Amino acid sequence: MKPILYLVQKEFRQILRDHMMLRIIFLMPLLQLFLFGYAVNNDLKDVRLTVLDEDRSPQSRQLIASFYHSNLFLPGPAATTASDLDHLMLQGKCDVTVHIPKGYAEKLMEGGTAQAGIAIDGKNSNLAGRAGGYVAALLQQESRRLREDQLLANPQLKTKIAQIVPVTRFLYNPELETRFYMIPGIVVLVVTVISGMLTGMAIVREHEIGTLEQLMVTPITSLQLIAGKTIPFMILSFAELGFAAVIAVLWFNIPIAGPIWLLLLSAFVYLLVTLGGGILASTVSKTQQQAMFTVWFFMVFGILMSGFFYPIENMPPGVQWMTWFNPIRFFLSLVRGIFLKGLTFEDSLPDLLPMFILGVLIFGTAILRFRKRA
Amino acid sequence: MRRILALARKEVRHILRDPRSLAVAIFMPLGMLLLFGYALDMELRDLPVAVMDLDQSQTSRGLIRDMTSDGFIVDAGRLSAREEIESGFRQKRFRAALILPAGLESELGRGRNSQIQLIIDGSDAATAQIVESYMNAVISRKNLDLLRETFGEARPPLEGRIRFLFNPELRSPDFVVPGMTAVIMIMICALLTSVAVAREKETGTLEQILTTPIRPSHVLIGKVIPYMVIAAFDATLVLLVGHFVFKVQMAGSWWVLTGYSLLYLFISLAVGLFVSTLVKTQQIAMTVALVATMLPTLMLSGFLFPIAGMPKLLQWFAHIIPATYYLEVIRGVMLTGRAWYPVELTIMLSMGLLLMVVSAKKFQSRLDM
Repeated sequence: MKPILYLVQKEFRQILRDHMMLRIIFLMPLLQLFLFGYAVNNDLKDVRLTVLDEDRSPQSRQLIASFYHSNLFLPGPAATTASDLDHLMLQGKCDVTVHIPKGYAEKLMEGGTAQAGIAIDGKNSNLAGRAGGYVAALLQQESRRLREDQLLANPQLKTKIAQIVPVTRFLYNPELETRFYMIPGIVVLVVTVISGMLTGMAIVREHEIGTLEQLMVTPITSLQLIAGKTIPFMILSFAELGFAAVIAVLWFNIPIAGPIWLLLLSAFVYLLVTLGGGILASTVSKTQQQAMFTVWFFMVFGILMSGFFYPIENMPPGVQWMTWFNPIRFFLSLVRGIFLKGLTFEDSLPDLLPMFILGVLIFGTAILRFRKRA
Repeated sequence: MRRILALARKEVRHILRDPRSLAVAIFMPLGMLLLFGYALDMELRDLPVAVMDLDQSQTSRGLIRDMTSDGFIVDAGRLSAREEIESGFRQKRFRAALILPAGLESELGRGRNSQIQLIIDGSDAATAQIVESYMNAVISRKNLDLLRETFGEARPPLEGRIRFLFNPELRSPDFVVPGMTAVIMIMICALLTSVAVAREKETGTLEQILTTPIRPSHVLIGKVIPYMVIAAFDATLVLLVGHFVFKVQMAGSWWVLTGYSLLYLFISLAVGLFVSTLVKTQQIAMTVALVATMLPTLMLSGFLFPIAGMPKLLQWFAHIIPATYYLEVIRGVMLTGRAWYPVELTIMLSMGLLLMVVSAKKFQSRLDM
């Protein structure tokens, strides 16, 4: 036990001595939280709308008003001809254009189908798809309202017009803010970077400057050595987790709805994976640069395939199957669930168990490989 | 010239000696491209929605049928109690729950409005919003049907033709691939160059090179040429694979695109050189390259997230990032075919020249010491 304590003490001294490293350890999470928390938004808002109203009737103005009624749209630059509309969009000056042709009101009064042409800038396919869905729903509602007006104009009408009224409620995130989903995800990123990257680099550094050899000739066993290397980074990772969680709660006002002990338990299991991964990376690398590149490579793909930006359900079946070997996926789902939905232990098992198995496998392999090399 | 080439050759040897890092530099972009092209798609389908049908009438069953008719939503089964909704959300069995109250049909028959409840898991805000839009459209259509049933056949009064310009099928690769070239070029140039220069500083070999008759600016040029080649190769690879495998359209001209891309390559290099004049150790070089160039390029340039949605301060930051302008240009050229970007061109040129002059100055003055 004592040798481990000495090693831990030594490791902490090394970390604390390097002011640059210290700054990185605490500034990185701050930077990530603020960058991701504020920059990552897929909120559909302030969409610039240019309208070309060639009909200039009360009816056409009503249609335009229904667009602005939603607060989603901002008035874009004015257009006087139909070719202006496409030109403005080509120049990137507006996002959505509505073209109401001459004869719109006339068509409505005749009882025919009036047409409106809508063009949406498709360059950002994500946002365009959502804007399209929004506009389609809006036009359906308008169409229904117009039909109702036509019917009400008929004096012989006896029956009342009834409709189904949807009442929508969003659980966990009533204002639908992207950051509710993002911030818990960044907590995951922060823990991953610190635990995976630093462990690998710390071991390789000793290897590079030759002090690992010196440690090997002491009576310390390789298990003690691994414990001495991982415990400091585990403590550091928990500190980092706490730090990031406190900012998430106090600054971004994101609640932790579930039990804290479940968050800590999940983090502990997850650290088996990342610390093990860091040690594994160090056993296959000769220089810090190599270790960093190796960890980085796995991290980038792990994050992309974790559901952080893109939902796993949308991936092709083969890729979905591959994500079962991606520990980030499970931890991400756990952290988001615990923060936002208040997962119970029972709810967490489908993610916690596979992550535990992966953790034992990776950490076990890391110990075996490290010992062999020694 | 011969001296520059000799230095470049030396750098190539350094690179070849560490094949794994080279492989990461070359294949990481390709791997990311494959992922973005095949696996990562924001377009939602098959969203599970559970229903609590307390009415069990023709109307309620019709509504459920309408909802699941076009494959966007799949029926995740029936709920018997409200308590099941939250546990279903927690265990991710469904994303939304629809509650159809008892008396839905009879109320409507009596000419009274009837409320139905839509409860959506809001934790993923973007998905929640899409589900809401979709459900609203379904319900509006149903209401129109109800009018038709009561008052006879009539054509819908309003019809909108929605078309998507520049990317009519809203394909995700058309959005992501052009942006990836911008990210990759700055990533390779800034990260690899600055680490390479820092390594020579750390090991002291930079001093040795500088005592030779080579001019300092030539040392820099010789060192960056190989990385420039890697970055250009990566960018070309991504664009070609994107175009031929993932069918990203090319509305404009390849020549125009090459011209703007070379300019951007020059800027990326200037950024890399600027970072390397600032740092002394590899670790710091990596961190600075990551924090000061890669993160902002990924997050703030509009690569995945629109600048218009950011807070004012971040928007301001976004406009001092070179990638923001290049992204505007490359998406424009590839998707819309527009070729002339005077504003972006001016800004990119001045950024590149400014960075080059400043880093050359810094490098010279350090030698005088």
